[in-house]
Amino acid sequence: MFISIDNVCFSYSNTKTAALDQFSMTIEKGEVISILGPSGSGKSTVLRLLAGLEKPEDGSFNIQETVIFNEKKFLQPEKRGIGMVFQDYALFPHMTVAENIMFGLFRFKKAAKQERLQEVLELVELEGFADRYPYQLSGGQQQRVAIARAIAPKPHLILLDEPFSNLDAELQGKIRKELRDILKKADITSVFVTHDENDAHAIADRIVKLKDGKIEVIGRPCDILNINRQAVVEAVALVEQRDMMSV
Amino acid sequence: MQRSLKNINVWTFSAVAIMALLFLPNLTIVGGIFTPTNDNWAHMKEHVLWSFVSTSLILVVATAVLTISIGLSLAWLIAQYQFPLRNFLKWALILPLSIPPFIGAYTYHGIVNYTGVIQTTLRDRFGMEVNPSHFDIMNLPGAIFIYTIFLYPYVYTITRIFLSQQSASLIETSRVLGKGPWGTFFRVVVPISRVSIIGGASLVVLEVLNDYGVVKYYGIQTFTTAIFQTWFGLGDIETSIKLAASLMGFVILVLMIEKLLRGRRQYSYSTTKVRPLPLIQLTGWKAAGATGFGLVIMSLGFFIPVIQLIDWTILTFGTIPMAEFMSYVRNSVTVAGIAATVIIAFALIVGNFGRLVHGKMAKLLPRLSILGYSIPGAVIAVAVVTAFIGLDRSLAPLYQALGFDTTLVLSVSLIMLISAYIIRFFAIGYNSIESGYDKIGTNFRDASRLLGMGITKTFFKVDVPMLKGAIISGFIIVFIDILKEIPLTLILRPFNFDTLSTKVFQYASDEKIMEASQASLLIIGISALSIIVFYKFIEKEPK
Repeated sequence: MFISIDNVCFSYSNTKTAALDQFSMTIEKGEVISILGPSGSGKSTVLRLLAGLEKPEDGSFNIQETVIFNEKKFLQPEKRGIGMVFQDYALFPHMTVAENIMFGLFRFKKAAKQERLQEVLELVELEGFADRYPYQLSGGQQQRVAIARAIAPKPHLILLDEPFSNLDAELQGKIRKELRDILKKADITSVFVTHDENDAHAIADRIVKLKDGKIEVIGRPCDILNINRQAVVEAVALVEQRDMMSV
Repeated sequence: MQRSLKNINVWTFSAVAIMALLFLPNLTIVGGIFTPTNDNWAHMKEHVLWSFVSTSLILVVATAVLTISIGLSLAWLIAQYQFPLRNFLKWALILPLSIPPFIGAYTYHGIVNYTGVIQTTLRDRFGMEVNPSHFDIMNLPGAIFIYTIFLYPYVYTITRIFLSQQSASLIETSRVLGKGPWGTFFRVVVPISRVSIIGGASLVVLEVLNDYGVVKYYGIQTFTTAIFQTWFGLGDIETSIKLAASLMGFVILVLMIEKLLRGRRQYSYSTTKVRPLPLIQLTGWKAAGATGFGLVIMSLGFFIPVIQLIDWTILTFGTIPMAEFMSYVRNSVTVAGIAATVIIAFALIVGNFGRLVHGKMAKLLPRLSILGYSIPGAVIAVAVVTAFIGLDRSLAPLYQALGFDTTLVLSVSLIMLISAYIIRFFAIGYNSIESGYDKIGTNFRDASRLLGMGITKTFFKVDVPMLKGAIISGFIIVFIDILKEIPLTLILRPFNFDTLSTKVFQYASDEKIMEASQASLLIIGISALSIIVFYKFIEKEPK
């Protein structure tokens, strides 16, 4: 077991109801997890808690043998070795693509830094764009820079907040496949939140369905998604039809 | 984990310390209310206190009414109508703000007095010997005129920007429903602009209560002049603390009235699509009237005094040795530069604290330290001197150990003046920095921390570069306000330390008004330039 999250509870100070209630799950290395739910279900809260941007009220979170937080300990975000791709990408506007990507590589030696930069640029297919500024890139390119920046320091885990919400519908299908390829190629464990079942279905190895801060179900996309079940039902019907016709 | 926690503590600690430093000196004023009274205070209370209150009230109410009438009517004309010179007047009408009222006060006195341009022209050209008392401006109505003509831009600017963001359909609905232009003005425009009118007018009122230069020069007794008189004339700091506390009470009353008048009603449009007002073309005498009104106000508030100052500068140029003049410039720039730098640094730290720490305290504490701007300079002067003398007293053993032969070190140094500036003008710098922080949000900071940078490194590598605009504009606003400042500088400066504004005040007080013109023009020039730059900056921003 690579990552374990146990009984995490959280509520925002201005509300009484829990934003997240006893959230528990385990994640294997290299797995792509999707947290799926409508707005207000607590899915973004999960990411903020894992990243260290909010302090949990209760529960624990371990990556391998390292305690990230429990009732006694709280590791600050910069000490966690977790990468995050923000919904609006949060690319530093005063830095070039290369500077953005190397921002997290301050512990690398100079040569290693350059090497890693080339590696991730290649991975996201933006080799010629190192010296551009974020505003000179398209939305899809900006997102790939944000992903490259997040994975460059080789984090244990990468979090993606609604990775497709800022892209137009046409791009979405293409980017879904690209993103899955990038994540799998980099062999990186990742958690992303979305409200769109199609996103979850296209990318995730497993899906966590959240409702009102509670886990409804965890499972493989093919087992729990309606679209899929619908498709299965239709396929079965089709097969039956054909069988009947052939009789 | 330990290190990161320590980081947060360093930020929290510095922010709280800064806010305490900004706020605590003012507590000495509150403390002063409870000290036993002496004869001076009893005498004042019996004979003159009421006259300070009534004079200040008359000044405040009359100025507020007049600035609202002028500011609002100009804002409405510019926002709704097209007439000759409208585009020029639109920004030129802000320029009177670049003339500090005390410079305006002595300039107008110079224009209308016995040897001034009006009376000499009447005498020499037309042979008219007029009664000089008809031209006496150094009285209460004169002071009201000065405040009105140089402070109305506060109401004008805030209201005009508000009106320009209003949807055309509001106004058009009123017209379609059968209200004429006047009916629309009073039934729709005035009510929806209420918040911005009151906002602008309360800035005017606070400026009037803070003012020392105009009332001192015109010989009008108000709270501020009385505070300084009991302090320097009678050497009675306890009574001046009590006066300062009374003035503070007055200011708190003003702030409460402002809050009451604003109420909970924050009007905003209920649709997101805002179509700006189409301008209505004025013709004939109406157009001439609008242009004329704008030109008269802006001439009174800017051209006439500036032309007079240029005239005097030409007449006296060379009588002040250049080296001496440059030393005033250097002093002004140095103190204003140091104070503005410290203010911006403090504002960055306090603003970052507001983002790092959640909860009510983190929101409340910065609000408290902002109060400094509503506290009149005279009150701050008393508070800072009291605090520094107390500090010197408790440091006396240290001074002795270091071999100084005096017990007053800090309270006669520039540090005291600069501290007073920081307390008085912190709010202005903070507002700029806070809106900068609001604009960039917290995502960039979070992104940086998730890439492994601690809070402090993030601050220097991400926050500060992204706040560059807010830092520069905050610095310029604070710098210029300090350049124009009068009461604090006069009272708290070290012996023989002169700035441009204290020199202007001194020359004017010694009836050498022509000699004062050169320094005045420099102050006005710098302020006007920055106002124009800012105006362009504000207009460029997407609405």
